[in-house]
Amino acid sequence: MKTSHSSWTYIFIAHMKRDFLTNSRSLIDLISIIGFMLLIILLFPLGIGPDKEKLGIVSNAIIWIGLIIAILPSLEKILQKDYESGWLDQIATTDVPLEIVLLSKSISYWLIVLIPTILSSPLFAILLSMELKYLPWLILSMSIGGLGISLIGLNGSALILGAKRGNILLPILIIPLMIPILIFGVGINEAVKTGESPFGNLFLLMALTLIYLVISPFISALLVRIAIGR
Amino acid sequence: MINLENLTIQRGSRTIFSDFNSVIETGLVTIIKGENGSGKSTLLRALAGFTPLENGKIKLNKKSILLSTAEWSQKLIFIDTKNGLSTDLTIIENLKFWVGIKGWSTSEENLKKALKSVNIDKYANLFISQCSEGLKKRAALARLYYSFINKIDFWILDEPTNELDQPSRILFQQLISSFLKQKGTVIIASHDLNILEKKFNIIDLTLLNKRNIK
Repeated sequence: MKTSHSSWTYIFIAHMKRDFLTNSRSLIDLISIIGFMLLIILLFPLGIGPDKEKLGIVSNAIIWIGLIIAILPSLEKILQKDYESGWLDQIATTDVPLEIVLLSKSISYWLIVLIPTILSSPLFAILLSMELKYLPWLILSMSIGGLGISLIGLNGSALILGAKRGNILLPILIIPLMIPILIFGVGINEAVKTGESPFGNLFLLMALTLIYLVISPFISALLVRIAIGR
Repeated sequence: MINLENLTIQRGSRTIFSDFNSVIETGLVTIIKGENGSGKSTLLRALAGFTPLENGKIKLNKKSILLSTAEWSQKLIFIDTKNGLSTDLTIIENLKFWVGIKGWSTSEENLKKALKSVNIDKYANLFISQCSEGLKKRAALARLYYSFINKIDFWILDEPTNELDQPSRILFQQLISSFLKQKGTVIIASHDLNILEKKFNIIDLTLLNKRNIK
């Protein structure tokens, strides 16, 4: 007996609830990511020196690069646990398109992991002597770009399912795909700094994220089907 | 009746089956037996629609199941050795989310009855990470209860009794008997032919293309 709840929206939300619950019980992963990002960012003042002017110039790019490097180890886990536990097999025996489920996983990852990490950026901005007036633009650009990054991460995670040494392969495969996001994301704050309009870069970043939003679930679903068929 | 016609399945460069033919009677239990590596799990995954076929067809009532995978997947419950349980969730949460993704009612009453059917209701709030292998298997088998309140025609089970103790095996046998009464079909891959006391069919992968009746 199917319930009236048996719509894709209901199942989409059910998946997100599950991801929220499982992630809330392993907060150590999120703390590790923020801690790792903090360490990466701390390395720059140590390497470049404490000159506030120098740090201020590169702070925007450092925070973006720090975010990308810090989340890399967690990207493979978007699907790995569910693959190893057989949950993806269970999903495959439902009538809900795999694409919908994978999209929900990507959005969950964005909300649970990326947004809290991005919201920690005021701390990183202070450490890098960034002027706080640029912070809203930084948070906005990283939030939009973060969704794109999580969608690319979903593809990467699906690609290495069941692969030996996947954790080594993953950064090599997905960092090149993140370069456009990095360029437009950093470009937003750089435009604000030089008094130009940031909207050109912002719209390009949004367009890029929308493209990933449309194609990424289909690519990931194809890769997951291959993985569970092995 | 499920017809396996000229099945050829490969995993990487290894051919698991080549032109394999067999029949699975509906409304009965069929046990797929064979040595380690003989392809029992692969055959089950092919039946569930996961493993692609190099060649051949799997037909249910003369209609290829691969052409109607979504329709086919709604008719079956698949449980393999991985169980599909999250270690970060409790037994009842795992069951509730599974029922949810199937699009079925997640009423507390039915969840409790499902857990009761495999005698794990008292462990409902135990995290999977704290469970023994036997409890995990029973947590996965609790899903079978939903066959009695939803339209499920097939169980595809990989080594379902491996970690079960004797009382749990009896409960499992009772579930199978109830499912057979509603004309369900059970397909099991197992080394253990003592799973059931009743008659069942055997597909022996060590003697490919031969079908025996116990």
